[in-house]
Amino acid sequence: MVSKLLSSQTIIYHLILFFSFSLSVNYFINLEFINFLSYVFFHLTLIYLVFYFFHFSLIFISFLYGVFFDIFLIDFISPHLISFLVFVFLFYYTKKFLLNFSSSTISYIIIGITLLMFVSETLIANIFFNYPINYQNLSWLCFTSLIIFFPSLFVFSKIDKL
Amino acid sequence: MALSFKVKAISRSRFIRNAFLTSIFILSFLLVFFSKSDYFVFNKIKSISNSYLHPITSFLVSPVKVISQLQTQFYDFRNLQAENNILKEEVMRLKKWQALAIHNNSENKVLKKLLNSTDNNLTLVKTTSLTSRNDFMYSKMININAGLKDAVINDMAVVNYRGLVGRTVDVSVASSRVLLLTDPNSSIAVKTVSNDNYSLLQGGDDGIHLVSAFNKDEKMPKVGDLVVTSGSAQIFPSNILVGKIVEVRNDNFVVLPFVDFKNIDYVQVVENK
Repeated sequence: MVSKLLSSQTIIYHLILFFSFSLSVNYFINLEFINFLSYVFFHLTLIYLVFYFFHFSLIFISFLYGVFFDIFLIDFISPHLISFLVFVFLFYYTKKFLLNFSSSTISYIIIGITLLMFVSETLIANIFFNYPINYQNLSWLCFTSLIIFFPSLFVFSKIDKL
Repeated sequence: MALSFKVKAISRSRFIRNAFLTSIFILSFLLVFFSKSDYFVFNKIKSISNSYLHPITSFLVSPVKVISQLQTQFYDFRNLQAENNILKEEVMRLKKWQALAIHNNSENKVLKKLLNSTDNNLTLVKTTSLTSRNDFMYSKMININAGLKDAVINDMAVVNYRGLVGRTVDVSVASSRVLLLTDPNSSIAVKTVSNDNYSLLQGGDDGIHLVSAFNKDEKMPKVGDLVVTSGSAQIFPSNILVGKIVEVRNDNFVVLPFVDFKNIDYVQVVENK
């Protein structure tokens, strides 16, 4: 269990998570696409990590990232925390069923969950904190997810082989 | 014996896991529940994350920041010739205005003495630079490098040379966050310069304009009217420039702020005298 937590791949994934988190919460007006890319990449990495390197500590890590994303991007806690934890809890209780799927099906599930997370975060921010649904941002996120999904999987598979 | 020990160990680890899951669930619920209220613990979490985590993330992304600055410099350099011509014309225009302003200023001083009036209700607390921005997705916030050590506290007005920028929230020892006017959750009490029409402004859905949420007396101002802070909410000092009315609808009006929120370098934290 501890070896799974401290394996070289897991450490690389956690470094990627922290770096993409840092890029997401520091807004670069001239390089906005980097913020979108890193925000999407963070979600993809977290979901991939939960699917293939699940460890109990990931629940706590998701909790921390959810809280910090909410504090930095919204200043109120809810949207990211709720969507991250709901996903991790759902996975925890259905992992025996989910891991029976083929790798390609899991890939589609990962992209589906990513898009669902973006929608749920936007909806929660709108319902709880009155932030208007920005359809342009949402469509940019979905578009970026679809574009970087396969390259990300390629990078992840390379990391897995390390 | 070995089997009973194994069963005990499994049930113990299951108990620890369930306790952990329950505590995470309860903690999340409490955080979500208290996040909208001004609880000390919640503010402390925000302050700690601003003081410790934010510098780490800023340091990590500093190469990207440098690239972003280089790109800006490149664009500036490319437009240098055209901007130079514009500035030459601007200097000529400003020289004429300067002569007029000097004349008006001396006249103003004499009139103030006659009226025995005291104005200029602002006290400068700190002039500070912007360290990073957090207005990427949802909230419209910026971080400045002035905090409690510079006598900055929550709910102080932040201005720049163009007008009102926002107010301080989440003040920590060395840094603070500023909630920009364009945030949907910000609210400012304003009045029009021409006919003292009092109203409340909130950030619009587009993240650029401000929309009136409440109008006193239900009389609507005109397009082109200037909007300044009324000072009635006790947060913002009165008569700070906010923006210009660009659209009047049936039940509200739209204001374009004077401050260019995409180009903020330095700001001033001010308070009522």
